[in-house]
Amino acid sequence: MNVTIVDYGAGNLRSVYQAFFLAGADPVTSNDPDVVRRAERVVLPGVGAAGAALEALRARDLDAALDDVRHVGRPILGICLGLQMMADEVQEFGTHRGLGWMRGKVARIPSDGNIRVPHMGWSPVDVTERGHDLIGSSAKDRNFYFCHSNRLYADRDVAAATVAYGEPFTVAVQFESIFAVQFHPEKSQLAGQRFIKRFLDWAP
Amino acid sequence: MVVDIDASREGRQPHFAVLEAISKEVQVPVTFGGGIASVALARRALESGADKIALTTTALDRPDLIDDAAHAFGAQAVVLGLDLVWRDGVLRLYDHRLRGTVDRPNPVEWVKEAVSRGVGEIRVMAVDREGVREGFDVPLYASIRELTDVPIILEGGAGNLTHIAEAMKAGVDSVGLGTLLVFSDNNLVKVRRFLEGAGLPMRP
Repeated sequence: MNVTIVDYGAGNLRSVYQAFFLAGADPVTSNDPDVVRRAERVVLPGVGAAGAALEALRARDLDAALDDVRHVGRPILGICLGLQMMADEVQEFGTHRGLGWMRGKVARIPSDGNIRVPHMGWSPVDVTERGHDLIGSSAKDRNFYFCHSNRLYADRDVAAATVAYGEPFTVAVQFESIFAVQFHPEKSQLAGQRFIKRFLDWAP
Repeated sequence: MVVDIDASREGRQPHFAVLEAISKEVQVPVTFGGGIASVALARRALESGADKIALTTTALDRPDLIDDAAHAFGAQAVVLGLDLVWRDGVLRLYDHRLRGTVDRPNPVEWVKEAVSRGVGEIRVMAVDREGVREGFDVPLYASIRELTDVPIILEGGAGNLTHIAEAMKAGVDSVGLGTLLVFSDNNLVKVRRFLEGAGLPMRP
């Protein structure tokens, strides 16, 4: 299975590549919009600051290529910043216009003094109807590694999973041929491997 | 957590090849530190497979590096290394290049400044406890904890499994283990089982 991981200078490119390779896929990384357009499955990774990442995507015309992939309905997996960039608006060191694939905005996790921000480490997620295709229901399958300061404020009807970290919030979304997650399947050991295998088999 | 402990002292670039080899093998988050004196070197560390970079003396030399790295890669990727010792009941920063304490900055001011510049996590090392197996310095943790709500990893002093349980029960977010895993008959499976038995929540 050809999986193209979009290379716009994101931090976790190598670990995402390694995780897909171990899951039995045939991953390639590319910053070429035409390679992205031809991909069977696309992964939009991301660790980093949203403004710089969006700028890098647009500078290489990768936003248009991703739009094309989305319109023909091929599966796209967004990870962390890859999820956040899909919103209308991202607030991190200023306000940035997102890809606008879903209504909503991204802003800092409110800290009430009882939780740590950034949210780092393992948290169990609660899966909604939309999430069952990719996230199993057993306790082992729902425990993922997180590493983020910002969270999504999105429409409830796209939510695929939520996490109770302070006030519960959406950490996975599913719409059209897109699945996007705030956690890092590439760093979530066995749960992450199972998630990636399910994405490879996913027929949205 | 992988640290090239001689890079800053020797004034050279860190060994990225070692980091690359490590991150190919492991599927856990990797923090890399030692000699990261510029955003370009930080980028190279992330491209070599690190998820986060740790800045210790390089941030003391140039505090702006924290802002620059946080803007480029996000606060969640920037860890502040804090090497601390008690001298006559007062906390002091330790500079391993000088093998001694430094008067400025004051650790309390430095933590506040670093967090406001964009640090997303702090690794607190009790320098005098390193390798001595006498237990963690929980009061040291507490004195940093009251300054910030970013996650803190406490390092230095774990000699047996009870020490870990004691630190966790005292409310320490996370602990770093070195000597305990390398130089004694312990491993993470054993650690987890012990902590579970001590009534601490472990992920499934």
